[in-house]
Amino acid sequence: MTGKGNLSFFAFVLPAVIYVTVFSFYPAAEVVWLSFHSPINNSFTLSNFKSLVYFGLPSAIVNTAVVTAGALAIQLFLGMAIASLIVSKVRGARLLYILALIPYGIATVVNAVDFSFIFQSTGGFANGVLKFLGLPTINWYATTPLELLIIIIADSWRNFPVFMLLMLAGYSSIPRELYEAAAVDGAGIVRRFFEITLPNLKKYIAIALIIRGISEFNIFALPLILVGYSPPLLTTLTYEFYSTTITQYYSYAAATILLAFITIFIVIVLKLGGGGRR
Amino acid sequence: MNKLAYIVLAIFIVFLIYPIYVLFLVSFVPPIYTVDRLYPYQFPVALTLSNLQQALSNSQLIHALYKSLETATLVGLIAVALGIPTAYGLSKLPEKVAYGITTLLFTVNMMPSIVVAIPIASDFIKLGLFDSALGLALAQELIALPLTSFILLGTFQSIPPELEFQARVDGAGLFRSLSEVVLPLAREGIIASFLLSWMLSWDEFTFAVLISPIRPTLPVLIYLYTTRGNILEAASFSLFLTLPVIILTILLQKYLRGEYLGGGLKG
Repeated sequence: MTGKGNLSFFAFVLPAVIYVTVFSFYPAAEVVWLSFHSPINNSFTLSNFKSLVYFGLPSAIVNTAVVTAGALAIQLFLGMAIASLIVSKVRGARLLYILALIPYGIATVVNAVDFSFIFQSTGGFANGVLKFLGLPTINWYATTPLELLIIIIADSWRNFPVFMLLMLAGYSSIPRELYEAAAVDGAGIVRRFFEITLPNLKKYIAIALIIRGISEFNIFALPLILVGYSPPLLTTLTYEFYSTTITQYYSYAAATILLAFITIFIVIVLKLGGGGRR
Repeated sequence: MNKLAYIVLAIFIVFLIYPIYVLFLVSFVPPIYTVDRLYPYQFPVALTLSNLQQALSNSQLIHALYKSLETATLVGLIAVALGIPTAYGLSKLPEKVAYGITTLLFTVNMMPSIVVAIPIASDFIKLGLFDSALGLALAQELIALPLTSFILLGTFQSIPPELEFQARVDGAGLFRSLSEVVLPLAREGIIASFLLSWMLSWDEFTFAVLISPIRPTLPVLIYLYTTRGNILEAASFSLFLTLPVIILTILLQKYLRGEYLGGGLKG
């Protein structure tokens, strides 16, 4: 960007600014405002939040955090590993690249339907493989941790390409000479990874964590189709209240909490990542 | 070491292919061998197109396909139409102002859809936009527009300012230099923005289920069928939702670059 700038170009930006402000900040403010008000007499109250505690809010918060952390860890690993394989140009790397892009083309809803065929309480494709290998079959919906695990697996399969693409962009920004010089100095493959690759990818990892992390907090269609309302996540809890209760105030309250979590997450990641921006 | 890499490679390839393979099996193998069995056959023992034919004869699918197509195209068009001036303006504004606006767009992009969608749904009922393709497109634009602006900002910034300056010196006005110099050079970014916005809308569920539940888009229709227990229809509908995007993804992989996903964030 050239250092100088012309304020008159603000006119170009104005329509978009007005648009997004009206369409997102106004409704969001409406949600927050209503969540603090009583459905009965419209006075200020915390009762919506208090009631939520009895309707599964604590477990929704824990589950959302578990899914977010688990999915980010797996996607970071997959994205990094597959990008490394592609960069190392082993045979089949090109095929791997094309195959790795396909999940990203699968709609979230399809992703969910697909994995609901794979993971079933009895039978299903995954259990078929286990049975074939002579292993005991698993009821994938028996416990909350297992249900969260299949959400994490299904989501990671679909979304790791974001990490992979960003890691590939990161790799291409590292000068080859750095590796050659390190190899001459006798640095092994592990040391080269930790001393050259990782520091240079830091910025890209931060961006990927922000983009995906926020989407993970928002994960909705996949758990809704795969496991339904239970175990609850913040999003499915919000939707459940919205679609099944007479008063929508609980869903406003749940939505407000989700918003708060995402805001906190953005602040933390921006601080830890040293800022996605320069 | 090399051997290990190949083993890892093979594991990854199986992990990537298996879910797609399962989707293929459920769609093209008669249901008696797949979803109707406790342990479905893992191999295509018989192939059939009747699952798809049955889906295609379902008028709800056709309506949903049309609605999805209409909405996605609207989202793509609005994203490009609003994104071009926004990104161009951002590339010319003083850095501090541009940074503020980028942050604003970024915040909007990160705003949870479900938080925004619930009040929008009730406001749209009053405005008559509820359940319409335009209304849904306007809501989905909240995700697509910031993304498009970031992609296009990166594209505009990569165009050497001298080129535009030269056009201006030669007497071209702002809009002529834009349309004859800047936009042709930004073509790749514009196509990428349109396609990514289109795909984003095609896949979008949260806004769709809240704002357009009566005449649903394809993702919502699939969800409704799974909740009613019609898994087979859901699976064959899934194929109609998936194929266009997979074809686009493979054909257009050069546009799906990490740089674009990073967008304006990298600055």
